[in-house]
Amino acid sequence: MIAIQATNLSKAYGFYRIFEDLSFEIRAGECFALFGPNGAGKTTLLRILATLQQPSHGQFSVFGQDGVTEKDLVRQSLMVIAHGSHLYDELTGFENLQFALALRGQAFDPKTLKYGLDRVGIGAFGDLKIRQYSAGMKKRLALAKVVIGKPKLLLLDEPYNALDEAGVTMTNLIIQQTLAREGAVLMTTHDRDKAAHVATRGGILQSGHLQHLTREQLT
Amino acid sequence: MPFFKTIRWIVWKDLVCELRSRETISSMLFFALIVILVFSFSFSMDQDAARQLIAGIIWVSFTFTGIIGLGKSFSSELQNDCLEALQISPIPKGAVYLGKVLANFLFMLSVEILLFPLFILFFNLDVVEELGILLLVFLLATLGLSAVGTLFSALTVQIRAREVMLPVLLLPLAVPVMIAAVEATRGTLNGDPYAFYSQWIQLLVVFDIIFTVVSFWLFELILDS
Repeated sequence: MIAIQATNLSKAYGFYRIFEDLSFEIRAGECFALFGPNGAGKTTLLRILATLQQPSHGQFSVFGQDGVTEKDLVRQSLMVIAHGSHLYDELTGFENLQFALALRGQAFDPKTLKYGLDRVGIGAFGDLKIRQYSAGMKKRLALAKVVIGKPKLLLLDEPYNALDEAGVTMTNLIIQQTLAREGAVLMTTHDRDKAAHVATRGGILQSGHLQHLTREQLT
Repeated sequence: MPFFKTIRWIVWKDLVCELRSRETISSMLFFALIVILVFSFSFSMDQDAARQLIAGIIWVSFTFTGIIGLGKSFSSELQNDCLEALQISPIPKGAVYLGKVLANFLFMLSVEILLFPLFILFFNLDVVEELGILLLVFLLATLGLSAVGTLFSALTVQIRAREVMLPVLLLPLAVPVMIAAVEATRGTLNGDPYAFYSQWIQLLVVFDIIFTVVSFWLFELILDS
């Protein structure tokens, strides 16, 4: 099953073209690692696929739903871990997790939420306000949403940033679990070594074009 | 996700965050206190003069205090890119709007309830008999301000000069609510028969319905753009 199908995707800000005519597909059970220099448009591409921005031209679909005209359906399948933590400083880790999942229409009992926090190693800090969390703990809390929410499509923007070694291993484990339940993952990263552990395919976005990499070329 | 559950979660989140930080309420109260003090020292009025002018003073103070709260309603979502999370959540965006309207309404009304005794004290008002009607006017006018203000708060949140743009865009649209609120409050405080100022209360009801319905439909477009 095709998770993401992008056809001739282009994005431009005025006369400045970020990328042009990107066409690719990611199948369920695949993890696609997107590399490229700063400013190449990796985050912009991720934001378009997350329905946060519209492409200037071209189209894309997520699990068969059109990314522009069927945004609401697309949003039901995906979860994004981006540069911003999407967390409220005045809420505790537990409350943030509860709120984020509630907005996805997923209500869980406190035991399940606690399990999610334990799985990412911050179970002891669930009652602390987010303003007291480190960057790595915030990233782990975002991963807890994935553990419990089980999205079909996971979009990760620099997922290894701010994480220690155990955090990186845990992130890769969560990616593998997503793939194992026939989900798909698209990640942008500069860290080829860490991504190589889980990525099944990849690509380099440079000068507005995507150069595909095989599994062998990744390592 | 059921529509009403989304509203409930948004209100819960806004109230909990505000109760813990007290950022919005404290700045609203501080501003309103200064306005009351300045007006009370500017006019030395007997009770009759106060009844003529006080309605305008009350609503100038409530409206500008409300704008402080409305401005923070969406700018607080910019922290940690929480606005993005709201945008990509598979929830009815109209429910987010109504949740925000309700939270803003509660903030504004709480501040008004805290401030009104100060107006009574500083301007020597006798309002015991008219409290019921006054409360109705406060509820309706605050709902109108909150309904239109929440929409403009979302509209201006991504603009760099949002603190300036929010009142510039909001106040012209809020003028009908303010005029109706002032006239209804003046009629109540003067002890006029209800029939003399009931049309202003009816006007507030009509504005509340129009603003809420139109803003509800426009909100998704604004949040997605």
